[in-house]
Amino acid sequence: MSADSAIDPEPVAVQPLSVDMRRLTRVGSRPSFLDYLVRLWDFRQFMFYDARARIQSGTRRDRLGSAWLLLNPVFNGLTYFLIFGLLLNTSRGIENFVGYLVVGIFVFQYSSGAITSGARSIRNNKSVVQAFNFPRAALPIGANLRELLRAVPLILAMLLIVVLLPPGEEITWLWILVVPAILLQALFNLGVGLILARIIARVHDVTHLLPFALRAWMYGSAIFFSYDRFVTHPQILAIIKLNPLFNVIDIVRNCVLYATVPQWQSWAILAAWALGALGLGLVYFWKGEESYGRG
Amino acid sequence: MDADDQELFIEGHPCVVVDSVEMRYRVASSAASDAGPQDTAPRFFRRAVNKSNMVTVHALNKLSLVVERGESVGIIGRNGSGKSTLMKIISGQSKPSKGAVYASSTPIMLGVNAALVQDLSGDQNVILGCLAMGMSRAEVDRKFSSIVELSGLEKSIHLPMKSYSSGMASRLRFAIAASVDPEILLVDEALNTGDAQFADRSKLRMDELREQAGCVFLVSHSLDTIKDMCTRVVWLDKGDLIMDGEPETAIKAYQDFTRHLSKGNNISAARILDEAKANLVATEVRGRSSRRSRG
Repeated sequence: MSADSAIDPEPVAVQPLSVDMRRLTRVGSRPSFLDYLVRLWDFRQFMFYDARARIQSGTRRDRLGSAWLLLNPVFNGLTYFLIFGLLLNTSRGIENFVGYLVVGIFVFQYSSGAITSGARSIRNNKSVVQAFNFPRAALPIGANLRELLRAVPLILAMLLIVVLLPPGEEITWLWILVVPAILLQALFNLGVGLILARIIARVHDVTHLLPFALRAWMYGSAIFFSYDRFVTHPQILAIIKLNPLFNVIDIVRNCVLYATVPQWQSWAILAAWALGALGLGLVYFWKGEESYGRG
Repeated sequence: MDADDQELFIEGHPCVVVDSVEMRYRVASSAASDAGPQDTAPRFFRRAVNKSNMVTVHALNKLSLVVERGESVGIIGRNGSGKSTLMKIISGQSKPSKGAVYASSTPIMLGVNAALVQDLSGDQNVILGCLAMGMSRAEVDRKFSSIVELSGLEKSIHLPMKSYSSGMASRLRFAIAASVDPEILLVDEALNTGDAQFADRSKLRMDELREQAGCVFLVSHSLDTIKDMCTRVVWLDKGDLIMDGEPETAIKAYQDFTRHLSKGNNISAARILDEAKANLVATEVRGRSSRRSRG
């Protein structure tokens, strides 16, 4: 390692120079946490534009354009209806099994999509990070905004399927509760995405593990079955039911399919996860602010 | 204290202070490992723990500069002398291995580095890029037409970036980057591309920016440009600072040096280098956070 042993030649003469540093800030330095949040707020237009522009460009080549944002999940749901409702005709002891399945899959799909794009937002936009000087959290937040906007047609399609396909649930006032549930879910997604974005910016290999982790999480979120059928031990059941995504799905199912007011415990667990993940994610991401896109 | 008698004071507020900056890269070398045959650790293991055949490259040795308002600094040197590395460090794109850069406002690098998102159209990229530089939406709308005009893309501005030729893309990048009026401007002309028509237009805009800016850093292979524009010249060679002073003297020494090199007189070229180095007075930055105490 010859290059290592090169010794810096000391300059012959050194002139000390006293400089007034008061008005200078270090280039690329990380602001305090509160300043960081304020700067993020200043870049809100950037995040919104980023989210909107990328949604539009996603379907630009299709003749039906943005209609696909709604059609895609509708077809998805119809497929499940065909297979489970008509061909297999299973219910697995669950009332309105097709609705149960569709709610589970759609709500989970939103999270897995949002977490994946949030996690990859720094890596995939490395050139943007290197070229411009903005608070880096704007990218994961922009990615999550985009996924939230995409979730709107997804949820609409879900509700449409639940109403139209047999047994055809009735619309009740409880459906409004879907909105706060999805918003809490969005905060949770963002928090997890921020944490993963920093990890993946450093160790890219994690991207390869992410799909497997998400799939395992999906199977563990009571989408195709109900927990009560397989888990008999009450304490283990209680622990499993702390799963934040299970709680979102459970809340939505109760509102939309079974017209029951969701238990306050579900809301409490979900809110704790959402706020906890968001707080932790913001702080963890902010700590790495100087490292993104550099080397 | 003796040293204090010789200390120079910079009154007023400097624009940029480069304080003992050093840049080293660790890169994988394809040369045979010097670990020898006794190293039996499997290759993938060494790679995983980041201990494969890594070599340290000194891109820039310890360097300090203080640049005041109103100065234009030309940076000259052969290929691989560390010019672009220094520019990247000042603009905050790379983080120096040691030392830091302090600036009175965010330095803006003008070149073709403004990142573009391939899936979006040209006009969307303009808006996104401007928002990423911290402009408000109203400001973007005001500047939009002049950016499009500068880029010379006309109707193609509405096409997706994917369809652009590399020349078109770099013109758009330049136009976006040139839309701000920075206090500290960095121009890397070595990166500049484009046809003759665009070259004129971009030169015009660059001159405009240079006049408005508080201080300018310029990398150019054209020594005439540097002589015309700069009030101070920094000569780098293989990561070392060779000269820092009047444009006339520095450029003359550099021209002598390259003339000897191109004739194959490596020894006399090295002598010029050594001579210049011997006369170099390196700066040592001593920050003060309060005004000089009088008396």
